[in-house]
Amino acid sequence: MKWSIGAKIGGGFGLGLLILLIVGTTAYTNTTQLVADLKWVSHSHRVLEKLEELLSNLKDAETGQRGFLITGEERYLQPYDVAVGRLDKSYQDALELTKDNLAQQRRLEALKGPLDARMALLKQIIELRRGAQGFDAARQLVLSDRGKTLMDDLRRMILDMEAEENTLLNERTEQSNRSVASALDTIVWGTVGAFVLLAIVGSLLTRNIARPLIDVSEIASRIAVGDINVRLAETQRTDEIGRLLHSFARMIATLREMVAAAQSIATGDLRARVAPQSDLDVLGIAFGTMVDNLRRTTAELSDAVNVLGVSSSQILASTTQVASGAAETGTAIAQTTTTVEEVKQTALLSSQKAKYVSDNAQKATQIGATGRRSVEASIAGIQRIQSQVEAIAESVVRMSEQSQAIGEIIATVNDLAEQSNLLAVNAAIEAAKAGEQGKGFAVVAQEVKSLAEQSKQATSQVRTILSDIQKATTAAVMATEQGSKAVEAGVLQSTEAGETIRQLVDSLTEAAQAASQISASSQQQLVGTDQVALAMENIKQASAQNVAGTRQTETAARNLHELGQKMKLLVVQYKV
Amino acid sequence: MSALEPSAADKARILQARAKALAKEPQSEQLIEQSVEVLEFMLAYERYALDTSFVREVHPLKDITVLPGTPAYVAGIVNVRGQIVSVVDLKVFFDLPTRGLTDQNKVILLDDGEMVFGLLVDAVIGVQRLALQTIQSGPATLTGVRTNYLLGVTAQHTIILDALKILSDPNIVCA
Repeated sequence: MKWSIGAKIGGGFGLGLLILLIVGTTAYTNTTQLVADLKWVSHSHRVLEKLEELLSNLKDAETGQRGFLITGEERYLQPYDVAVGRLDKSYQDALELTKDNLAQQRRLEALKGPLDARMALLKQIIELRRGAQGFDAARQLVLSDRGKTLMDDLRRMILDMEAEENTLLNERTEQSNRSVASALDTIVWGTVGAFVLLAIVGSLLTRNIARPLIDVSEIASRIAVGDINVRLAETQRTDEIGRLLHSFARMIATLREMVAAAQSIATGDLRARVAPQSDLDVLGIAFGTMVDNLRRTTAELSDAVNVLGVSSSQILASTTQVASGAAETGTAIAQTTTTVEEVKQTALLSSQKAKYVSDNAQKATQIGATGRRSVEASIAGIQRIQSQVEAIAESVVRMSEQSQAIGEIIATVNDLAEQSNLLAVNAAIEAAKAGEQGKGFAVVAQEVKSLAEQSKQATSQVRTILSDIQKATTAAVMATEQGSKAVEAGVLQSTEAGETIRQLVDSLTEAAQAASQISASSQQQLVGTDQVALAMENIKQASAQNVAGTRQTETAARNLHELGQKMKLLVVQYKV
Repeated sequence: MSALEPSAADKARILQARAKALAKEPQSEQLIEQSVEVLEFMLAYERYALDTSFVREVHPLKDITVLPGTPAYVAGIVNVRGQIVSVVDLKVFFDLPTRGLTDQNKVILLDDGEMVFGLLVDAVIGVQRLALQTIQSGPATLTGVRTNYLLGVTAQHTIILDALKILSDPNIVCA
């Protein structure tokens, strides 16, 4: 079906017109034929009429002649005269009418001779009657039968012609009947065929055009009431219906897309995007704009709600902190009040103590003066110790020098022992050289050697002892030196102590003055503390009011926070 | 184990040999007669000894004069009662570790009637009589120049030097 609807409808009408043309043409042709046939029938009838007329005229002529013959009266001759006048015309008419029929012409030509002969015979008879002989002569001539023979021939010839013409008439009638039947057939069957064909074409067109249109209109009415769950039959048509279905399908798809987007928006998913079908898609553009605006609004709302949530949380936290801070402040103020009360008591006590300290400071000043005299006495004692320690140090140094001298003496003795030892060895060598005579000498040398070694050992012991003495002496020197230094330090320290005690006495004097001032200040402090305690009581009351106010603020902030959380939950349902 | 165990004849033979060894007289008299008198001295923590028959005397080391142009083992010259004697440092000669000179150092004067020179030693111990039996030949561990002047080693690890060889050594004498 590649035809468009216009082409189809035009084709249908064209087909109808064609059929009408064919039927009309056929009917016209048949009618024309019929008219021609009828003309020929009428022609035959006229030929027959003329022939009858010819025969009638001939008979009239004969009848007139006979009447005249019988009667001799001229008045009976009148039919003859009329017939003679008409006969020629009849013959000429017949000749004229049968021009198309060669056989009839020939017969007419053949008829001419006998006809003229008959007419001449009739004239002769009439002439004879009129003549002298009259009736008898004429009767003789009639009795010759010439006239009757001629008349029979003429009758026979005209009858042949009539038979011929009747045959033609039959044929022509038959022909015209056939033409009539053909025309009727053409009209009847053409009409019926055209009806059937047009009915088929009309029903096809109806099926082809009206039904899809009805379907589409049904779909359109369902869409009009908002039902888009309609199924469009798949079609390969490319005509107007196909385009209409196509457009409908696109429209439904667009509507479904929009519906899906709208449903997703309805469920809170704002991520749906609706692309406008064209620049003229007002609904799509408006929908897209609406979704965009909704999304932006929701995003901003979400941000705002988030901010609100965070802020309300912060406010709540801050308020809670403030509340707890206020409570703590209240507690602290209560404690402070108590403390101030205690401070007041303490101030009273310290005022008393300050007076006591002032008295004591006076006594301490006197004790310090006594201590100073004692320290000066001890400095003098330590200086005496110093001079004695110096004397000890000199003695120890002298002893050290003498032990040095002893060491030198010991070295000399040791050298002597060594030389004695060598001498003993040499003596032994000499004794060995002397052989048997030197044996006693060898014994003496051995003794000398042992003596040398003993003296060597003795000097070694002395050296050891001396070394110990020298070490002890060194230690004593060091000790006396340290003692001397310690005594010096003692002198220095006792001097410093004296100075310190003097400063202490000065300080004590100052302290005594300060203690008197402290005593006076304490009295003032006591009065001030009383005022502070009163102020603290006022602060305490204000703090209690503060705590109550903060509690209310906290409750309000908690309500705000819960509201923020609810809004957050609501906004979270929208997916942007 | 019959292969390892000695037979009756072997046992009898071994016992016979042991009895003979036990029956021998000790040769103490011979030992006493075959003895030598030596002078013991110290060189770098080692005990050395020399036959006294070639020793003239022992002298304390005093006023040694170092001579230039002499071999390293010549320590110098000393004056012994008017006689000039050259002194040889055996520690340098024997490649032993040297120490600085102290007043403990001594000079042993060697004399074979032809030649007189001194040996520088760390300390003199004394004169001792040694049985020749106790002297053993030098061990293989002793190496270097010393093996040429070695007579033997005692059980107390005293190294006995051959004084005659030292005196007749051209290395020392030429100096």
